[in-house]
Amino acid sequence: MSRLRKDPRAERQERQVAAAGRRPRIDVGHREAKAASGRLRRDPWREWSASLVGESRRKRYDRSQRQMEHGNSARLTRARARDGVEATEISPGQPAVRVIDEPAFLVFAVITAAGGRLSRLDRQLLGAARLLADAGDGGGAAVAITAAFDPVTAKDLARSLGEAGADRVLSVPGDIHPSGTAAALRHHVEAFAPRHMLFAEDGDSADLARRLAVSLNEPLFAGVEHLTPRSAVRALRNGTREVALAPPLLMTLGEDRMKPYESGPCEARPLDIEVGPFGGDPAILSVEIIPGDPASLALSETDFVVSAGNGVSDFAAFGDLAAVLKATPGASRVVCDAGLMPRAAQVGASGTVLAADCYLALGISGAPQHLQGIAGCEHVIAVNTDLHAAMIERAGLAIVQDAQLVMPALVKLLAERQA
Amino acid sequence: MKTIVLLSDARNPVSGRQQLSRLEAQAIGLAAGLCEKPRGLHAGSGEDGVSAGLGHGLAGLDIIDLPATDDPLPALAGFIAKAMGGAGAPELILCGRRGEGGEETGLVPYRLAETLGLPILADAVAIRAGEIAGTLVVDQAMAKGARRRVTIKLPAIVTVHSLAPPPMPFAFGRMRRGEIRHHEPLERLGLPDTAARSDASAEERPHRARPKLMRQSGTASGGPNLHVGPEPDEAARLILDYLEANGIRRYGSS
Ligand SMILES: Cc1cc2nc3c(=O)[nH]c(=O)nc-3n(C[C@H](O)[C@H](O)[C@H](O)COP(=O)(O)OP(=O)(O)OC[C@H]3O[C@@H](n4cnc5c(N)ncnc54)[C@H](O)[C@@H]3O)c2cc1C
Repeated sequence: MSRLRKDPRAERQERQVAAAGRRPRIDVGHREAKAASGRLRRDPWREWSASLVGESRRKRYDRSQRQMEHGNSARLTRARARDGVEATEISPGQPAVRVIDEPAFLVFAVITAAGGRLSRLDRQLLGAARLLADAGDGGGAAVAITAAFDPVTAKDLARSLGEAGADRVLSVPGDIHPSGTAAALRHHVEAFAPRHMLFAEDGDSADLARRLAVSLNEPLFAGVEHLTPRSAVRALRNGTREVALAPPLLMTLGEDRMKPYESGPCEARPLDIEVGPFGGDPAILSVEIIPGDPASLALSETDFVVSAGNGVSDFAAFGDLAAVLKATPGASRVVCDAGLMPRAAQVGASGTVLAADCYLALGISGAPQHLQGIAGCEHVIAVNTDLHAAMIERAGLAIVQDAQLVMPALVKLLAERQA
Repeated sequence: MKTIVLLSDARNPVSGRQQLSRLEAQAIGLAAGLCEKPRGLHAGSGEDGVSAGLGHGLAGLDIIDLPATDDPLPALAGFIAKAMGGAGAPELILCGRRGEGGEETGLVPYRLAETLGLPILADAVAIRAGEIAGTLVVDQAMAKGARRRVTIKLPAIVTVHSLAPPPMPFAFGRMRRGEIRHHEPLERLGLPDTAARSDASAEERPHRARPKLMRQSGTASGGPNLHVGPEPDEAARLILDYLEANGIRRYGSS
């Protein structure tokens, strides 16, 4: 907005006529009022239309600051300018970065960030750390600890860590085995004396948490199911009883227990600390990582599924595609009933309910029984000849095209990119 | 190589009766592949649950008689330390991940390793003897089907992952033939129990089921992303770009 904001009180003051009596007198004819504050006037109409999401008939607004950041200027200028007000850019909408300069205490969250990307559980851990850091009077800082962080190359990671709620980032040596990482973590705990420390109850993080608990001789509150600033709850005795106490130092958190952090980005400032080289366990002679083969993975374990439905007739091409995409093959019930794919590959209510991140559906109509199986998939891609198929509606990327043509094109393009 | 499998006092979640935990049955299966006569070790009261381990492939079972309320760790550590001093010392100690029916923190193997000064590896799915004598090759389960192959010097403690091969079938005759030895707890080793000095604010109560967060799904990239009748090559490009933009897979580099 270009007009300045009015300040009615200042204007009134301006018009006041000095008089002897007790009653204030105002000169109504006085016109040269100048605004006392230099602030610009808000245009709520424009802000609303800038936060409009999508172009469906039913209006949806996203008023979070994140949307303002991503809401590109194209959308802002497209917002209808009202009569008499010339169209100008509203402020770039960069949400203010939340800075905590002198943290009163620290909350550590040990995250994996495999491949430099935050997983769901990583975000949830940072959300929990944020919750504990803002507890009571607040003023605490959430510190993300990760082996994947390299301050020089990991600009993207730093940004996503900030958006996920990390005030500080600490790196631990990217040791290939947890025994070395545990020593580095212990060093950090002694140097910074955090109030709480959160781990994932999963894989190496769970292992690390226990190594640290034993080496610090601290109790471990494993598998927290419910966490508030006042209390942490975990199940015990086969899930028949639970125990609640004030959040202790060491906790591990299961998946989907805490909400990720969602308001404005935090700073994610790297903390510099000298860590000497930590020799791993002398008993460990060699370590070698063997990457998983998606084709041999069970559907319930994999992260990416390519699935064939009744619209696929060329199963040789489908098999090739799954192999080059490094995805686990799946199928709809019709295909399994016809014996074209093994029963173990069936996705859906009477097959496997997936926990994968991404689902590529080729020639699948999207029957409710099938959609139930992919309810948890974050990214869905559909290729179907029918524009009105339910799968097209469900998908994040929908392509109306013959699957028999798309499959060889994909294989060809992948071969080109890998060459 | 001589192998011991630690057996916990697992309880059936419904009836509360003692039973053999499945993970420990899998551990017995792994042990049987390495050692001709794997032995089980249990500290606690009663042998109803753990004796099933004999039917799943253990050659013998040592039970340290302890009241059910006692911390089993010092007695276990004392027993193992004594066995390691003598002839036929155990080289490999296999355990499950966590108890079933108790505190369920999964700390016992780690505290045992600390007390005995042994290295520990978690989440084994396959184990075999190394090429050099006195070493062991362990495959650890990692996310997305990856494995980490670690060569470790014995003696060591290894915990088993649920993706390890299924347990050997139960045989009643083998359970009857198996020999059970009872021991008195002799010396006790170990750290003070950390659970005992946990918070005074701790409160135990009946469990309340709390629903997990719903997995959010939908169009992560913003608005609808619909392409009607693109050329197949264009469609392929769109799909690959979508996959790479969302970090599902990277195809260019590898
Ligand atoms: C009790 C019960 C349980 C069930 N459980 C399951 C289950 O667990 N899993 C499951 O999958 N189903 C299940 N079903 C079956 C389900 O209702 C559907 O029948 C089934 O999912 C349909 O499979 P489809 O989409 O592959 O086939 P169709 O419905 O035949 O769809 C084929 C799709 O492919 C498209 N197509 C055709 N040709 C091409 C082409 N050349 N290129 C691209 N697209 C093309 C068509 O437009 C159509 O959308 C269950 C049903 C019942 C009654």
